[in-house]
Amino acid sequence: MNEFERSSGDSMEGGDILWDDALPVDEVRQLFVTLAKAFRAYQLYDDNNPVRRRFLEGLRTEFQQLWTELDRIVVTVDEDHFYLDGREVYRSESRADSLAFLFFKDGVREITFLSGVEGDELERFLGVLQRARKLVPEGDDLLTVLWEADLRFFEYQYVDLMAEGVALPEPGAGNSTAELQAVLEAEDETDEADEAESGEAGDEPPPPQTVKQDDFNPTLYALDPREMEKLRAEVKKELARDTRSDVLSALFDRLEERHDRSRQIEILQILSTLLPNFLSRGAIVPATRVLEELRTLERQDGVLDERGHAQVGAMLDAVSARDTLDELIKALYDGTIRATPTQLAGFLTYLRGAALPALLHASETVEHKELRSVLRAAVQGIARKNRAAVLTLLEEEDPVVAAGTARLVGDMQITEAAPALAGLLAHPTAEVRLAAVEAAISLKASTVAGALEHTLDDPDRDVRVAAARALGTLKYRPAARVLADIVGGKGIRSADIGEKVAVFEAYGAVAGEDGVRRLDGLLNGKSLFGKREPTEVRAAAALGLGRMSTPAAKEALRKALDDDDPVVRSNANRAFRREE
Amino acid sequence: MAHESGLNLQEEGRRLLALLYGALNALRLYPVENETVQHAISDLHGLVERIVEAEGGAEVRVVGDFFFLNETRLRLDLSNFSTFGSFARALHDHGIGAVEILPGIERSEWAPFISMLLRGPGGDQPFETFRDRFATTPVEHIELRPLSEVEEPKDDAESLTAAKRTYAQSVKVAKDALGDMRLGKAVNVRKVKRAVQGIVDQVLSNESSMVTMTTLRDFDEYTFTHSVNVCIFSVIIGQRIGLDRLQLYELGLGALFHDVGKQRIDVDIINKPTGLTEEEWRELMEHPTEGLLILFQMQGFADVPYRQMLMAYEHHMKTDLSGYPESRRPREPTIFSRIVSVADAFDAGTSVRSYQYEPWPPDAVLQEMRDNPKRGFDTLLVKVLITATGVYPVGTLVILDTHELAVVSQVNPDLELLHRPKVRVISDPVGLPLSEPVTLDLSDDDPVTGAPVRQIIKTTDPQKYGIRVSDYLLA
Repeated sequence: MNEFERSSGDSMEGGDILWDDALPVDEVRQLFVTLAKAFRAYQLYDDNNPVRRRFLEGLRTEFQQLWTELDRIVVTVDEDHFYLDGREVYRSESRADSLAFLFFKDGVREITFLSGVEGDELERFLGVLQRARKLVPEGDDLLTVLWEADLRFFEYQYVDLMAEGVALPEPGAGNSTAELQAVLEAEDETDEADEAESGEAGDEPPPPQTVKQDDFNPTLYALDPREMEKLRAEVKKELARDTRSDVLSALFDRLEERHDRSRQIEILQILSTLLPNFLSRGAIVPATRVLEELRTLERQDGVLDERGHAQVGAMLDAVSARDTLDELIKALYDGTIRATPTQLAGFLTYLRGAALPALLHASETVEHKELRSVLRAAVQGIARKNRAAVLTLLEEEDPVVAAGTARLVGDMQITEAAPALAGLLAHPTAEVRLAAVEAAISLKASTVAGALEHTLDDPDRDVRVAAARALGTLKYRPAARVLADIVGGKGIRSADIGEKVAVFEAYGAVAGEDGVRRLDGLLNGKSLFGKREPTEVRAAAALGLGRMSTPAAKEALRKALDDDDPVVRSNANRAFRREE
Repeated sequence: MAHESGLNLQEEGRRLLALLYGALNALRLYPVENETVQHAISDLHGLVERIVEAEGGAEVRVVGDFFFLNETRLRLDLSNFSTFGSFARALHDHGIGAVEILPGIERSEWAPFISMLLRGPGGDQPFETFRDRFATTPVEHIELRPLSEVEEPKDDAESLTAAKRTYAQSVKVAKDALGDMRLGKAVNVRKVKRAVQGIVDQVLSNESSMVTMTTLRDFDEYTFTHSVNVCIFSVIIGQRIGLDRLQLYELGLGALFHDVGKQRIDVDIINKPTGLTEEEWRELMEHPTEGLLILFQMQGFADVPYRQMLMAYEHHMKTDLSGYPESRRPREPTIFSRIVSVADAFDAGTSVRSYQYEPWPPDAVLQEMRDNPKRGFDTLLVKVLITATGVYPVGTLVILDTHELAVVSQVNPDLELLHRPKVRVISDPVGLPLSEPVTLDLSDDDPVTGAPVRQIIKTTDPQKYGIRVSDYLLA
């Protein structure tokens, strides 16, 4: 690009200019109106928005029409205007939205659109303007941004404000005779000394300044094609290289040096900035590397002083904090971080117990199956190292976390959690109570079973069903009386078939011989009027009998094997086979 | 950037050379009626017609390592260096410096021209021989000029002024930035970026003038001129290995900041005129690490400048990692860092500076960098630098076989003649200054004997004798 001559840049008024009437001034004026609108649309709307597309197409069309008359549009710029050949083609009322001021304030005094700008480059051009509008004073300016954009069909000239007050290097008068003669004399003396020395030393090589014919052999300095190819491969490799990793290695190399404690703190501060920076850019691999290195450092004695240790601890804690992990999950979910399950699992490995609530919450709520599975694996990994933390989580207010923890306790067989699980059976949230019941089954914890009895009349159907199954699985005989009341009560008759089966099977499992008569009556008995129990009750009673494993129960089932009711008959057969 | 015609001459020019090279190769292998040859000629002719129509003509010139299409210098990179090199040699063998294609060129004119390029060069006067043979062909719209007539298109004085302006601004920016850093003030990165953008533009369009600027040893404090010189040499090396404009910019930014860590080193050590104690060396050797850390603090980059950080951190590491800082983890210095390392060593080695022994003549520095493996430079990159600076870099003070003193003023672009640059003779054989320095091309041979008219017999250090070479180069 050319540097604009200051003298011409400051005198762009129309006074002395001979106007070229052949110029399509009105069309160019209209072009800038459209450009301003397209730019506004570019700022307001997303890439695929039809409004933005429409404005861009309009702008393209106007450029194309102008190229039938011109091969370039050159306009000069002042604070508020563009001029085509001295005639105003753009005026802005407000500096805030002014295209002219956007260029002028950074020194641009003339802009040229070339035929072709309406192609792919048009959006890049608007992108540059957009970026320029958002620049902060201490950052780039339009000129640096335009340079980086390297536009082919847009040219500009500017006054270089940087050049002010800079003295150019100028040649001096040259050297005096004495100075030049001194060189020749000194070099002659050197030659003589060298000759004498080489005479004495025999095969000593000449001093480096003396020209040797070998130096002129091009093979010594010219690159052959193989060497060029090697360089080419190196450049390619370089451009694909993850320089963050090299920088991290440098930082950790120096962090391990114990002689400069204040530098260690500075590096740790840098790392504490880098870590969120990596995550915000979705770079989970370098972020994992930071955590890995920090954890290693934390475990080494003497590398860091107390302050350093505290800082490392604080960083590792911060990564495991709920806010951080909420952000992480959000980033994983919206695609800001695109990590493979292995990469993500690698990162999560370095989290601490404090990360459990957020991770648990996410592992219970995210819909993405693969992500959920990775999160669950991570939760288990952290929980294994932090069993105590898991116990405290059973008291979490967040029902999702409490429920997840209950399941985790069951999966991990954390038997010491049984008392806390019993407490959760009274949790106001059904999902938590349900998870606690399921955990009790996994733990086979009889200490919870007592509490499960009270859950049989839980307001939530799933909890009641789970509790019944739990009691049956645990064969908790003390619950037989409560279950007998339910089996014989009216409430169960209005329950769905699933609940009926769960309750009757639980009763069958805990009641033993004592319950046969009751279930036989329900399965095979008739009322005074010869009426049988409803089909569902009879079928559930059959299944209950199937859990009893006694000859009396088997006998009761045999009577129903040829029952007229096909549902009853089928379930009796199933239960009978189980008994056998 | 698009040309006035709307054509992208950079792209089209590179394509044109590729097609010329393709046609040359096709005709080397097959007879003219072969389909491959005919295709190659058709493609070539189609492109030439477009360029000629848009531009009113097309002139391909080879100036040293560079091709020009009309006024546009075509960028050499690793994807086309072989094509450029082969075609340049084909022209060079026949003494052809420029091929001008006139409007009205016919498709049938290409085969005779290219076939003639494939024939062996004719004797002592290859251009004349080629021209005479060419005159017997039916080709009417291709005109040739000899190498001797071809010069870089830009006016020398104008180039030099532009280079001076860029250099002076860059030194000022480096001075401001490094000064601000020492004072703990925020650095105006925008100005630094503009300076580096200017250097990249100048190197791409006006390399030899920018090299001349690096001979300005006393323009400002060493720290500032050195930063700018390293930036210039790095960009020169970078463009020769095919980095594109934005990559050169990234390289230049890192190169300008390569010694930024010194701003945290005790100023008395930095400016110590005598040798350093062991303790002082230890402190000085911390500057790469300090540079890495300082760049983390610098605001104004769109992204964390990792590559620039590595240039600051790795430029004293040596390729075998035997330098400093010590690496505990696996490391391979980046090619950008290795470029800066070469540029840094070359400029530092040829400069008078604090804690520095006598500077070496530039040719001796290059030779040492190339030949002494203990220096730990990437020898391929040193070679690349030599192809840019020549065996005797611009600013080298030489003694000719006539005992005249001269300053190397321009590198010979012919790789075979890198040791025979252009020089400005500044004194007669007894040391009397010439009233007006005379420029000589040391590649000129005596037409009678065939021997060089003048030869360099020795190089010496201008700074040792207080010779200001820039006085003779900027004039």
